[in-house]
Amino acid sequence: MSRFLLSRFPVGPLIDFMAKKKVPEHRCSGWYTLGGIALVFLAIQIFTGILLMVYYRPSQPWASVQRIVVEVPFGAFIRSIHHWSANLMALGLFVHMFSTFFMKAYRPTREFTWLTGLCLLGLVLLFSFSGYLLPWDELSFFATRVGITELEKAPLVGTWTATLLRGGPDVTIDTIGRFYVLHVVVLPLTVLGLVVVHLTLVQLHGMSEPDSFAALPPERKRYRPFFTDFLLAEIPIWMLVTGVVLALAAAVPRGLAPEADPTAAAPAGIKPEWYFLAPYQTLKLFPGRLELLGMGLMAAAVLSAAVVPFIDRVVPTDRRGRMVALIGAAGIAGLAAMTAWGGLS
Amino acid sequence: MNYPVWNVDILGGGLIVAIIAIVHMLVSHVAVGGGALLAVAEVWSDGQPDGARIRTWLRRFATWFLVFTTVFGAITGVGIWFAIQLASPEATSLLIHQFVFAWAAEWVMFLGELTVLYLYFYGWDVNSRAMQRFLAVAYFVIAWLSLFIINGILSFMMTPGGWTLENRDIFRAFFNPGFFPLLLLRTVVMFLLAGLFGMLVATRVAADDDLKEKLIRFCAKWVIPAAVAAPLLAFWYWTTLPGSAVALALGGVTGVAGGRLEVVTRYGLLAGLAGALILVGTFAMALRPRAANTAPALALLLVAQLAIMGGEFFREMARKPYVIHGVLYSNQLWKEPGKAPARLDAPYLDAARWAPRLPAQSPARGEWIYRLQCASCHTIDGYRGLMKRTVAWTPAFGVRWLSTMDTLKVMPPFEGTAQDREALAAWVISLHGRTGVKP
Repeated sequence: MSRFLLSRFPVGPLIDFMAKKKVPEHRCSGWYTLGGIALVFLAIQIFTGILLMVYYRPSQPWASVQRIVVEVPFGAFIRSIHHWSANLMALGLFVHMFSTFFMKAYRPTREFTWLTGLCLLGLVLLFSFSGYLLPWDELSFFATRVGITELEKAPLVGTWTATLLRGGPDVTIDTIGRFYVLHVVVLPLTVLGLVVVHLTLVQLHGMSEPDSFAALPPERKRYRPFFTDFLLAEIPIWMLVTGVVLALAAAVPRGLAPEADPTAAAPAGIKPEWYFLAPYQTLKLFPGRLELLGMGLMAAAVLSAAVVPFIDRVVPTDRRGRMVALIGAAGIAGLAAMTAWGGLS
Repeated sequence: MNYPVWNVDILGGGLIVAIIAIVHMLVSHVAVGGGALLAVAEVWSDGQPDGARIRTWLRRFATWFLVFTTVFGAITGVGIWFAIQLASPEATSLLIHQFVFAWAAEWVMFLGELTVLYLYFYGWDVNSRAMQRFLAVAYFVIAWLSLFIINGILSFMMTPGGWTLENRDIFRAFFNPGFFPLLLLRTVVMFLLAGLFGMLVATRVAADDDLKEKLIRFCAKWVIPAAVAAPLLAFWYWTTLPGSAVALALGGVTGVAGGRLEVVTRYGLLAGLAGALILVGTFAMALRPRAANTAPALALLLVAQLAIMGGEFFREMARKPYVIHGVLYSNQLWKEPGKAPARLDAPYLDAARWAPRLPAQSPARGEWIYRLQCASCHTIDGYRGLMKRTVAWTPAFGVRWLSTMDTLKVMPPFEGTAQDREALAAWVISLHGRTGVKP
């Protein structure tokens, strides 16, 4: 039987290729699971997203979501899973990015693995932003309006991008059409394509070894083959991650606020979701004409994350590498502090 | 209302009980199932060529097992007693008085369990092999009997069956309709948990791969059949549930908390799906035991904890609005008005022993009624918070809601007079910073 299948599907070289990759075993090996965990969230998002699409109507956004929550069997549960998995995916990707950063896995020749990863994080945030509007309740409506208004203030491309996203000068039902297409067609295709590139690069380059591990004498280096050892040992962890999503969906279901009324005043205390709190709070520090400065700072932060692999290139870490790590630590502290501040204020 | 109020902000007393009980469920079932695993592994190791090495693992297992069950089991077990007598004194009293003999037998079992486990563990180097085997089997039998007894009492709370306040028939109360399905379900689940716990210990005995493979496969054989059997037994238990619980789980409730209240259904799904996750994860471990390390083994035990959380919440929510089905409401009021110190229409606080004497129009009356009648399940602004549920309340709507809330079948009827309702509604509305003008 297996011979029959193997002759029809000659995947042997593929398996050999996957088995060739070796995962180093050391104190920080746990961080290697984060990429896989992000993939689990992506799978959950695709599965629940397809189910939600069955009943979601972009022409009647709020009413159709209400129907999903109230009428459709298990609809509220599926929607809550989609919500929690999205949030945990964003969180997992931030942790993945920072663990990759501090293990210095971006150094040559892995620059493009790092860059595709950064792009994926950006796309996932865009995914969250576009999905957040789709229920069209007053929270999502006003948060989106505030978000795009901020974007509009950006120099040169601001107005143009904002109008393109909204489909006009304000957030309307046309915006739903655009965000919906973005959320269920454009972004999924882009993300899936980029995930394939990212994973292929990871497989081709093999796992990066932290300096402390690379410095060990060969006989003290321990590895496990990616296929099947590492992969199979990850499955129970994936099960736990899925279980946590299910438990959160059961215990803290996603609510639905009243339908958005574009003519009404924004309800008090409208705030973006937690992953946008840091830029939101930062912009508040630069009122009026200083706002451009704030935006410039944030753009510089993103840009510096992108150029890190071209600045810190030396193995083992030299003075510049240590400096980059320090700046990264300051970045993570700043991000956490601004998020907390934004959440509490 | 015969007892002082235990006021827990944000979480509420009921959630405290739940948190302790969910952890205790895991520990106590590992304690019983682990006994079976000890006994079988004792016999199994004797027939194996590398029996001595298996017993090294077994000793390690026994060490972890002893610490885990006697420390965490005892702390959480006593914790449950502390918490339930504060959160639910009336129900605790009923269970104690109804099952005096069962409790006495239960404590004999606990004592026996601990004694035999210590004899087994500390006699490791001294006792003969036959004695060790005997002690392991004895431990399991005694531990399972303790489960047998507690199962009678716990299953009684959901399905009192032929027991009534008048006949007080302990036999019918103990062997109630839910007794056997739950007993079997618990037995199967404890095998599953013991297997997961055994795998965790096996991943720590990392010294050599052959032994690890053997041990993990041995433990997986405890998990996989149990994970397959558990849903079938759960379905059997489902068929014994009161009709109201089934209706609640299948239909949900419209009108509470701004949407469908299908919390029962959600937790039921969590329990079932988490069971499937355990099955998949265990297969992955058994497929390549050499690759297994502590993290995946621990992950599966945590998934089991989530499944238990689902199961426990399901049971508690499905029993709504009762703590003892058809007899005693979750808020310590009796279903039969004859049992209740305050008749449904009598001034409520007059009979409340621990409430201060307040003038009829005092706003504090509403707060005291909340403490005595609502706070068993609700908090002001936390778990099942009042604030979130009463945003749209007007005095007239509040009074009407209080008069009809029991028709939703998840809340008990209000006890007290029209003035009591008005006082409670006015106090609730005042929480929102509005005044409760008389309707």
